Amino acid sequence: MENIIQNLLNGALMGCIYALIALGLSIVFGVMNVVNFAHGEFVMLSMYFTFAAGAYWVLDAVTTPLITFPLLFLFGWLTYYLLIDRTLRYRYVTQIAVTVGLAILLRAIAQMIWQAQPRALPYSMIQGNIQIGGINILTSRLIAAAVSVVAIFLVYLFLMKTWPGRAIRAASDDLDAASLAGVNYRQTYALSFGLGTALTALAGGLLMTFQQVDPTMGLRFGLLSWCVLALAGLGSVPGLLISGVIVGGAEALAMSVWDPRSRLLAVYLIFILVLWLRPRGLFGRK
Amino acid sequence: MPPEPILQISGLTKRFGNLIAVNDVSVRLEPGTIVGLIGPNGAGKTTLFNAITGLHTPDAGRVLFKGTDITGMLSHKICKLGMSRTFQVVKAFSILTVEDTVRVGAYNRHGEKEIQAKVDEVIAFCELEDFRRQKCGDLSLALLRRVELARAVATEPELLLLDEAGAGLTGTELDGLMAILTRLNREKGVTLCVVEHVMKMVMGLCQRIVVLDAGEVIAEGTPAEISDNPKVIEAYLGKRAVR
Amino acid sequence: MNTKQRTIKMLPLLVGLVVALIVPLIVGKNQYNMVLVTTVLFYGVLATAWNIIGGMAGQLDLAAWAYLGLGAFTSGTLLLRWNVTPWLGMILGGLVAAGFAALVGYPLFRFGVKEVWYALSSAALVEVLRVAFLMWDEVGGPVERYLPFHRASWYHMRFASYVPYYYIVLGLLLIALFVNYRISRSKLGYYLLALGESEDAAEVIGVDARACKLKALMIYAFIVGATGAVYACLFGFIHPSFFNTAQSTEVAILGIIGGMGIVYGPLLAAIILVSGREFMRANLGSSLESLYLAIYAVVLIVIALFRPQGIAPLFRKAYDWLLSRVVGERYAA
Ligand SMILES: Nc1ncnc2c1ncn2[C@@H]1O[C@H](COP(=O)(O)OP(=O)(O)OP(=O)(O)O)[C@@H](O)[C@H]1O
Ligand SMILES: [Mg+2]
Repeated sequence: MENIIQNLLNGALMGCIYALIALGLSIVFGVMNVVNFAHGEFVMLSMYFTFAAGAYWVLDAVTTPLITFPLLFLFGWLTYYLLIDRTLRYRYVTQIAVTVGLAILLRAIAQMIWQAQPRALPYSMIQGNIQIGGINILTSRLIAAAVSVVAIFLVYLFLMKTWPGRAIRAASDDLDAASLAGVNYRQTYALSFGLGTALTALAGGLLMTFQQVDPTMGLRFGLLSWCVLALAGLGSVPGLLISGVIVGGAEALAMSVWDPRSRLLAVYLIFILVLWLRPRGLFGRK
Repeated sequence: MPPEPILQISGLTKRFGNLIAVNDVSVRLEPGTIVGLIGPNGAGKTTLFNAITGLHTPDAGRVLFKGTDITGMLSHKICKLGMSRTFQVVKAFSILTVEDTVRVGAYNRHGEKEIQAKVDEVIAFCELEDFRRQKCGDLSLALLRRVELARAVATEPELLLLDEAGAGLTGTELDGLMAILTRLNREKGVTLCVVEHVMKMVMGLCQRIVVLDAGEVIAEGTPAEISDNPKVIEAYLGKRAVR
Repeated sequence: MNTKQRTIKMLPLLVGLVVALIVPLIVGKNQYNMVLVTTVLFYGVLATAWNIIGGMAGQLDLAAWAYLGLGAFTSGTLLLRWNVTPWLGMILGGLVAAGFAALVGYPLFRFGVKEVWYALSSAALVEVLRVAFLMWDEVGGPVERYLPFHRASWYHMRFASYVPYYYIVLGLLLIALFVNYRISRSKLGYYLLALGESEDAAEVIGVDARACKLKALMIYAFIVGATGAVYACLFGFIHPSFFNTAQSTEVAILGIIGGMGIVYGPLLAAIILVSGREFMRANLGSSLESLYLAIYAVVLIVIALFRPQGIAPLFRKAYDWLLSRVVGERYAA
């Protein structure tokens, strides 16, 4: 029983990171209505950057977002102008084709540089366990979850209170009205895409404190973040956090009470059920 | 005793969150007539059409078509019963040619054997011969509206709902459209309900006009009655115009 | 259209067929080349079948290998357990795949799951099946289950060379093309193209969108499932890794690049892209393992960005140009 609670707790903590990843996706999809199938690969890329920074410059995973965050923002910003901007006038199918192409490209590049075997950083300054009662929690996970929650909150404030944040939300409500009101949609979109991408840098850094990375990782994170987004629905940041925790918890629960191999099964079953029963998500407003 | 209505809407209500887009609307359409549905922007005309044709499920109220309750029925079934429509924002089948678009509509009542004849007839009726092999994606807005009309006509409806079929058309294009609609009504006996901002078309075509404002019916009558109705002028021009 | 014009239109098909028929006579000695051409045709079948649900109905299905795997496991298990010939297994595999498609598709279409969400749920389906078959020890499990090996046995669809497989896959391809062609000329085909563009507009002129999508999905699943049975025999085993998300996505990509809704488009894309990929894989192979994937990805992005209608219209234009040069404008299609 304690074992289950412990797993559930760890899963919920992991879920906070999922929510952080999904937040980036939800900015891109919710604001721009751009379907990004490479989001998971952005996470993978961030993890490799973290690995590289850690391995070559002996940086701690926790501190690498200082470098990778701006780097990924730039990457997202460029991706927007080079690829995404051109797809806006086509149907979503073209967007999927282009972003799937991007995903394959990133995967191939990762494979060329870092080969297929998993990579991990040898240590992080956040290590060890915390004991609460009979329950064991990885410190790194706890901190990663806490940082994720804070980051989500900060992004929430940014979207609600600052001028660029408002521009992003205005663009999400109505593209025509926003561009009439003097919001330059291109800049706003590039900003949103950059921000959405940069958030994966943070997630990547946090994940690398306790995880390894391999080139196929992107697919899993991509699907996972879409699941979280489907569960939450568009337009609710707190809902995203709750959904992330649900997904993380479900994963852990399935692993501990059903079968270790069933973790993805549980997530995808939730995903498909949500699509059937609540296409707007649990907290969605549109 | 008036003839049995072809469409009878009673107490129809549609909400979007807090917004009541259509509020307790009741309307009767007599068979064989042309009825205009007018109202300022956002009055709920398109929403009313959507609720009638099964694209939205109404929150309250009933829709009877030829005596059958069609409230909440799927659109294609309603079409089989004999009602079709066009869209304000054209929804073209851009990769299909004009001919094939019409064919899609014609399959509603015809099998493979008669289909070509039906397609030819409708294309001739809607005066689209010159464009029949063109892709819809390459057509101008005026032609697209015409194709949309043609594909709806091809389903052989008894009642046709037209959502701003005249919007964005030039004077001559408008005259052409009005001629087709008149023929549709006279020769084929199709009942028409037209949502229109173009007054020339409403006044020229319709025998009766229903005015919608903020989701509610505020007036109903002949074109002459409507154009003199102070409530209507107020709805369109604001309070100050009526004095 | 007179007979001469019709002949000219069908000419590329005839030439293609003749070439396809004699390819094994030319490269048949070389096993590697036979694998290559069989692979190309194999993807051709999948992409052509995908055209029905993806290209015509506009539902971006990413679950090709889910249906392929179901077909493979059905036929493979029947062969292992009850010694049922894969020739029958093909049909049964197709039926199981189509039945499963109906089971999944009905609620999806009923609840209006569309566009991205349809694509994602179909991608998730592949993963669900992969894990489910990994966990289902009676028919799946983590170890490969080898089909009984008989040297050159028609009954078991096992051959010493790739040539017979090539012809079987070619047969499937012709069936897939024929089915596609027939659908594209029928009520169902027009309905699918229409609802793929706008479901609302199609519905109000009498198209039962749900039923049509479900039919399209089932036909596609049947063809892919039957192909899966052959796939199992070709490899000689069945394994949950048959449920492969990346390869499922690739099938959809071929369909998009080829030109959505154009019967021969996906096949063209498969011929060009898959053979290009396999060629690169062979020639760049050991030294730069992933370079071919990167090049492939770039080609994909460029075509998707600059030819969103796909490459089929290009070929059409080129062919028309060629015709007008050779036989004069009059007969150009
Ligand atoms: N899908 C929807 N979701 C939320 N609100 C909607 C939706 N469709 C329409 N509305 C709102 O319902 C109200 C009525 O809109 P509707 O389109 O029916 O008006 P209309 O009379 O057709 O206007 P117009 O003349 O501009 O076409 C508007 O305030 C509109 O913003
Ligand atoms: Mg309207």
